Amino acid sequence: MLNFILKRLGLAVLVALTVSAISFSLLFMAGDPAAALAGEQATDVDIEAIRRLYGFDRPMIVQYWEWLSRALQGDFGESYYFRLPVADLIMERLSITMTLGVCGISFALLTAVPLGVVAAIRPNSLIDRFALFLSVMGQAMPSFWFGLMMIVVFSIQLNWLPPSGTKTWVHFIMPTIVLGYYAMPAIMRLTRAGMLDVLGSDYIRTARAKGAGEGRVLFKHALRNAIIPVVSLAAVQMGFMLGGSIVVESIFALHGAGYLAWESIGRNDLPTVQALILVFSMFYIVFTFLSDVLNAWLDPRIRVA
Amino acid sequence: MTRTADTLLEEIQGPTPGQMLRKRVFGHQGLLFGVAVLGLLLLVAIFAPLLAPHDPYAQDLLARMQPPVFLGGSWEHPLGTDHLGRDYLSRLIYGARISLLIGGFAALISGLIGTAMGVAAGYFGGRVDMAVTFLINVRLAMPVVLVALAIVAVFGGSLQVVILVLGFLLWDRFAVVMRSSTLQVRSREYVTAAQAIGCSTSRVILSEIMPNIVNNLIVVVTLEMAHAILLEAALSFLGLGVQPPTPSWGLMVSEGKQMMLFEPWLVAIPGITLFVLVLAINLLGDGLRDVTAPENRS
Amino acid sequence: MKSLSLKCGVAALALMVAGAAHAGKSDDTLNVAFTKELENVDSYFNSSREGVVLQRAVWDGLVYRDPVTNEYKGNLATSWEWIDDLTLEFKLREGVKFHNGEEFDADDVVYTVNYVADEKNGAKTQRNVNWMKSAEKVDKYTVRISLKKPFPAAIEFLSGPVSIYPNEYYAEAGPTGMGLKPVGTGPYKVTEVEPGKHFVLEKYEGYHDSPKGQPKVGKIDIRTIPDVNTQMAELFSGSLDLIWQVPADQAGKLGAMEQFTVANESTMRIGYLTLDAAGRTGEKNPFTDVRVRRAVAHAVNREALVAALLKGKSKVISTACFPSQFGCFQDVANYEYDPEKAKALLAEAGYPDGFETDYYAYRDREYAEAISSFLNAVGIKTNFHMLQYSALRELRMKGGTPVSFQTWGSYSINDASAITSQFFKFGSLDDSRDEEVRDWLDVADSATDPEKRKEYYAKALTKIADQAYWVPMFSYNTNYVFTNEVSYTPTPDEVLRFVDMSWN
Repeated sequence: MLNFILKRLGLAVLVALTVSAISFSLLFMAGDPAAALAGEQATDVDIEAIRRLYGFDRPMIVQYWEWLSRALQGDFGESYYFRLPVADLIMERLSITMTLGVCGISFALLTAVPLGVVAAIRPNSLIDRFALFLSVMGQAMPSFWFGLMMIVVFSIQLNWLPPSGTKTWVHFIMPTIVLGYYAMPAIMRLTRAGMLDVLGSDYIRTARAKGAGEGRVLFKHALRNAIIPVVSLAAVQMGFMLGGSIVVESIFALHGAGYLAWESIGRNDLPTVQALILVFSMFYIVFTFLSDVLNAWLDPRIRVA
Repeated sequence: MTRTADTLLEEIQGPTPGQMLRKRVFGHQGLLFGVAVLGLLLLVAIFAPLLAPHDPYAQDLLARMQPPVFLGGSWEHPLGTDHLGRDYLSRLIYGARISLLIGGFAALISGLIGTAMGVAAGYFGGRVDMAVTFLINVRLAMPVVLVALAIVAVFGGSLQVVILVLGFLLWDRFAVVMRSSTLQVRSREYVTAAQAIGCSTSRVILSEIMPNIVNNLIVVVTLEMAHAILLEAALSFLGLGVQPPTPSWGLMVSEGKQMMLFEPWLVAIPGITLFVLVLAINLLGDGLRDVTAPENRS
Repeated sequence: MKSLSLKCGVAALALMVAGAAHAGKSDDTLNVAFTKELENVDSYFNSSREGVVLQRAVWDGLVYRDPVTNEYKGNLATSWEWIDDLTLEFKLREGVKFHNGEEFDADDVVYTVNYVADEKNGAKTQRNVNWMKSAEKVDKYTVRISLKKPFPAAIEFLSGPVSIYPNEYYAEAGPTGMGLKPVGTGPYKVTEVEPGKHFVLEKYEGYHDSPKGQPKVGKIDIRTIPDVNTQMAELFSGSLDLIWQVPADQAGKLGAMEQFTVANESTMRIGYLTLDAAGRTGEKNPFTDVRVRRAVAHAVNREALVAALLKGKSKVISTACFPSQFGCFQDVANYEYDPEKAKALLAEAGYPDGFETDYYAYRDREYAEAISSFLNAVGIKTNFHMLQYSALRELRMKGGTPVSFQTWGSYSINDASAITSQFFKFGSLDDSRDEEVRDWLDVADSATDPEKRKEYYAKALTKIADQAYWVPMFSYNTNYVFTNEVSYTPTPDEVLRFVDMSWN
């Protein structure tokens, strides 16, 4: 087990390093950082002054090395735009994205798992059809469109929900639904398939034959086994979600990390974008690592592979 | 032996695999819907110049945002006009080309990359497999939307850039699925047999492995096509997709968004066509999976 | 996870206690939206419109320009005089206190000027401050500012971007501290800063007897909401009282609603096409031919652009500056909309079937797209590239662009030197490289005699129009939309003045 964990950890670190190198080099092509930094109304003099001030004239590899060694100590430098430490900036915004991510995945799990279970118990029933319909819709509807339509209906026409901001939990309702909806189809399909699989297996038949109550069979035996892959899928989806909340954050004016990333690209705020890509990747890497370990712990066969 | 020759014959003759497949295909509503809609949109895209009532690029600043005919507009512009007075229906028709082009080519590029990597990893195993698995991990760890935005911001959005970016970002699922499919097929008797009689590696892969995993490939192609189309729309929505005046549906939503609260049809119309297209592709993919691998769905 | 669910619980509780927070006149709080994230409240370290808005509310300059009459009045200074071409002397107002209680005197002026004028301290918009050499104290309420070279627009700058900071506090806090906890002498003090997303201002009770007038609204709550639709949705639901920079179409619809007032004012920003007359993108570039450039000017229906897209107080312009700016001579060549003439000129220049060219823009996609469509109509086939500002700027600095749609707001400085001289003096963004124009502008920029300045700007602008180096398009306008509870008359300089707002 320890061996397995160490191997996975090594892979995770290697992946993180590669991603950091890619994101660093990628963003260095993103136009003249000095021009972006100086802003729209800046003159050539301003830009030249800034170029010297920040040392953009040095070789890229030197700048990468410097960045990486400091990043390892938790220092991502100072945002070119806000002139504040990037780490502070991200920490502050990340709480919103994390809240949104946790709420979104909870919403997805709370709706998709029960639907998947019911759909598996009664295949081809009305509920199964409904679940399928929901998941097909979820896959096909552009998220920005869904978000805009929600605002039109629930904020403008019904005036039930506030269209933007993060002041109270009510503000999180619409973004949560929009973000969570996209994780639903995959989770539901997996739950349904897993349940169908388990329900057809020998030990469930045995449990039933022994005369265990239907509820007991479903929840104690079937769901517990079917849920394992769902948990790891949810972990991975959560990683995707944090990186993909850009659209949702920009529509609902949530000043989270996703929105910060989008704005920072436009402003060529290199330290912020680099740190954010790394942070988002780290989330994904950590979540998949955890789900790998969890799976290995639950299912010893994986450890050997 | 209680069976007679007759019943035996009946058992043998039964429905042929072809008949069974046909029965499954025509019994699958989702698949039929997907094929029909996609086929229709494909025809629309091909014959756009014949179908469009106006030049999709011709602007008329005096006739901006005219409502569609069902909201009190005129038949001159059945779906109204956009913010520069261009005919909405014509733009929608030409837009089908853009969306299908982006979906198709992005899926083609990512399919080539992902399949090559996945098959190589599954077939050769060992170091190759490790390298590919590592690359897949790296790719999955990168936030797609963010990276795509960053790249498009650098190179400026154009049809080619968007197709290339999406093509180079969406190969992961191909690689994962093709790798596991190849792993399954690799140890089958016909593969070992082909290897034993001295067929070249490329021959084994092309004529023994590929035909047996191609149905999985097609399913992934449809998924990634849909994925690419939606991503392009999201990029265009964030202002970093294909360039105007190209009539991409995502761009049309983004342009219409400005007046969303007052002229919701500007957003609704391209939004719905986008939805229908992606829905059709997804249903087609789901249907293909059900039909080719019926044991997965009861 | 635990802390998050805890947070959710606390948030829910807070909501129950506070109830739906509907603000406005009832609690004397004006809720305003910004579209862009402001990088730093310290006005020397941001370069955006939002920054100017806060600067005018939180700080004061030595001088104040009345936005209606354009007359200069003393603000932190009570009088001033030119000692010579390079020295200005100010008598300062007595009894003024900063928000933190620090007393205002000559030391503050000296410290601020010397700090921002030093390039090493990295003030973001160097142009606003790099004309000053230093400041020195004469006595407690007298100060002298020395210039690097004669700079006729000095008073204009001192009434605009140069505001005075408290020396003791600024020495300690620096730009970062000032950005997080701003301290000034202005009509509003800042009580809350969440960088980029939320600012709260409160009326400064001890505000001196300034020409800006006294603040009337008690509290200003500013949130950054990037999407215009979301802003309007918030306006409908009552949680915003004022939005600005509203696009013309939406403003038209909002104006038709009873509960809102729409005010439109022009801004100093102009839109123009810049053509590669110097052949930076290649010597055979068609735009090196004056006939092609004139064809471009004839091809675009600017009246239609203004009437259909910009609306409001926007005007068609023909000069390479904003009409109200000092020196912005108006009697220059005007190219009326005439696609046939454009085609004839193209044919004459050897392009009877037109040609293909790259076309760039970085903002206002709608306008840029409409212009490109006019060019396509006469045979100039445009490949549209919409780039990020920085990417386009880099491209223009390095190799130029054949034709691009640009805009310039002159930092709201009412002088042609803030625009024409920025682009026609062989800088990296100069696409024409005309020595004669440069020399005339040099004279106009540094002469102290206003008549001589006017004469030389007129010469330069006449040649620019005649050669069609730029094709000036239109001036911009801004729409301010607010609820009927708010009373506000905007000024033509695109600065939101909280001090001028009151409740109806």
